Amino acid sequence: MVENPSVTAITMQGVNKWFDDFHVLKDIDLQVAMGEKIVICGPSGSGKSTLIRCICKLEDHQRGLINVLGIELNDDIANVDEIRREVGMVFQQFNLFPHMTVLENCTLALTLVRKKNREEAEAIAMGFLEKVHIPEQAAKYPGELSGGQQQRVAIARSLCMNPEIMLFDEPTSALDPEMISEVLDVMVSLAEEGMTMICVTHEMGFARRVADRVIFMDQGEIVEQNDPLSFFENPANERTQLFLSQILQH
Amino acid sequence: MTTAIQQLPPAKPSFAARLQKSLFNSPLDCVISVVCAALLFYLLYQIIDWAFIASIWRAEDVALCKAADGACWSVIDARHRIILFGLFPFEEHWRSTLACIVMVATIVASCFTWFWSATRLGLLWLCGFGVFYILMRGGMFGLTGITPERWGGLALTIFIFASVSLIGMPLSIVLALGRRSKLPVVARLTGLFIDFFRSLPLLTILFAAAVITPFVLPGWLQGDKLYRVIVGFAIFFACYQAENIRAGLQAIPPGQDEAGLTLGLNYWQRVTRIQLPQAFRNSLPSIVNQFVITFKETSIVTIVGFFEILASGHAAYGTGEWTPHYVEVYVFIGLIYFAFVFSLSRYGAYLENRMRVGHG
Repeated sequence: MVENPSVTAITMQGVNKWFDDFHVLKDIDLQVAMGEKIVICGPSGSGKSTLIRCICKLEDHQRGLINVLGIELNDDIANVDEIRREVGMVFQQFNLFPHMTVLENCTLALTLVRKKNREEAEAIAMGFLEKVHIPEQAAKYPGELSGGQQQRVAIARSLCMNPEIMLFDEPTSALDPEMISEVLDVMVSLAEEGMTMICVTHEMGFARRVADRVIFMDQGEIVEQNDPLSFFENPANERTQLFLSQILQH
Repeated sequence: MTTAIQQLPPAKPSFAARLQKSLFNSPLDCVISVVCAALLFYLLYQIIDWAFIASIWRAEDVALCKAADGACWSVIDARHRIILFGLFPFEEHWRSTLACIVMVATIVASCFTWFWSATRLGLLWLCGFGVFYILMRGGMFGLTGITPERWGGLALTIFIFASVSLIGMPLSIVLALGRRSKLPVVARLTGLFIDFFRSLPLLTILFAAAVITPFVLPGWLQGDKLYRVIVGFAIFFACYQAENIRAGLQAIPPGQDEAGLTLGLNYWQRVTRIQLPQAFRNSLPSIVNQFVITFKETSIVTIVGFFEILASGHAAYGTGEWTPHYVEVYVFIGLIYFAFVFSLSRYGAYLENRMRVGHG
């Protein structure tokens, strides 16, 4: 738990990453304050997913510093474990465990990592399932739910760990259009409660509504970052202008 | 009213109609169907006649066998003890019977989901094996000692199958995980180990275990020939089973492990709670298949000098008056194999059905 609100949630300094010869992140500098909500957008292959995957060490960065909640992200397993416990992640493909019920998906880490007993874990899990509006699905298996419901379960599963920071990797990209809003509603209410969030998404309505800052990435670089109003009304860089005209034209 | 009728699905064709359509749709179809049916009935009649109607059942009636057209089941009546117990001392056959029942009960019990935790399964097999061993080996609780060379028949077949599975299954999991390890040394060495043993015929491994290892291993490590053969067999089994499990592991999307990582689960938690349960589901048919193959392959141990059920069957008709009736003996043994293997396959099908629910 972080007691001091002045602590920055995430600091990235000169972060570089290569996939073999492909330079996927180039000198990334980023500071995220506690409670800040950031939306990252950019064309596919721009490195935005890789950036947030580096924050919970699903990818290794090869150069530069990443500091999460005052903990240095390096090869020290203890540090990595501590960071992962405090950082929740929601994936494009949900990644629910198909062989467990919705409730078991949520209680798994509570019992194994947080060492709660079963009653406590189930009470916590049911609380978060209510928060994402699907407590009645607790006994079902993920395969029996719609995409939107699965993604809400995935959010609830992350929230059960009581994370300080939530990362969203294109959470609505794999959803049918009519299910996007139910997931975004949950994310909006989470933002309103003051959760520190980084969302990789192309939902520009969501960005306008909740983001404190919108970041545009292209070819592994942070090209432009600004508050949503200025970002959408007066994009400075022509690459940003091109991208916005492409995704906002209809 | 008409709309209500229209919304009903079309009625399923009756059995007679389907039969007519699939078997008697044209004159040629009729001829083929009738000929095949006649052939089938003839075969069936022959088998029933041989096995039940024209057959001799009691051992005392062996003299009638020469004249009879049917099966001479007298050989089973007279010699079933040899088939089932091999060279096990006659007056101790009850121990072998009991041991078989205990072991089969252990196998059946471990098929119930209630036992599916490491402690329960471990305890169950420890008890099952313990009781089996005490009954067979004796030398304590006032039971006379009987060394493994004299074990035989069904009890030996079941013992070999059960111990190969028991040693082989955990080993196969370790090998499958090892081969997928991120450490190149571990992955390469396990890969080499698996491919080495898979490229050898089972017979070679059993011969090496029975004959060659005594020259290589120090005395205290040799154990009985039976145990060496079982360990060799188990390694062979594990290498094949490891590849089945690895296939199941490969089929799991990488996102599953990543989800486990971001929830803070450590390696063993991810392996035991996320990867292995899904890997077993993915490759259940081939895993069950490997057990079936292994049960049948136990008969190979004959060649290194063990009297499992097939060998003791051979011995059972080997003397004088029974020599002509080997077919009956093999049919009897075949039925025993069938009972075991068929139950195994049905259990596999049941598991697949049960687990499909979890995938929705």
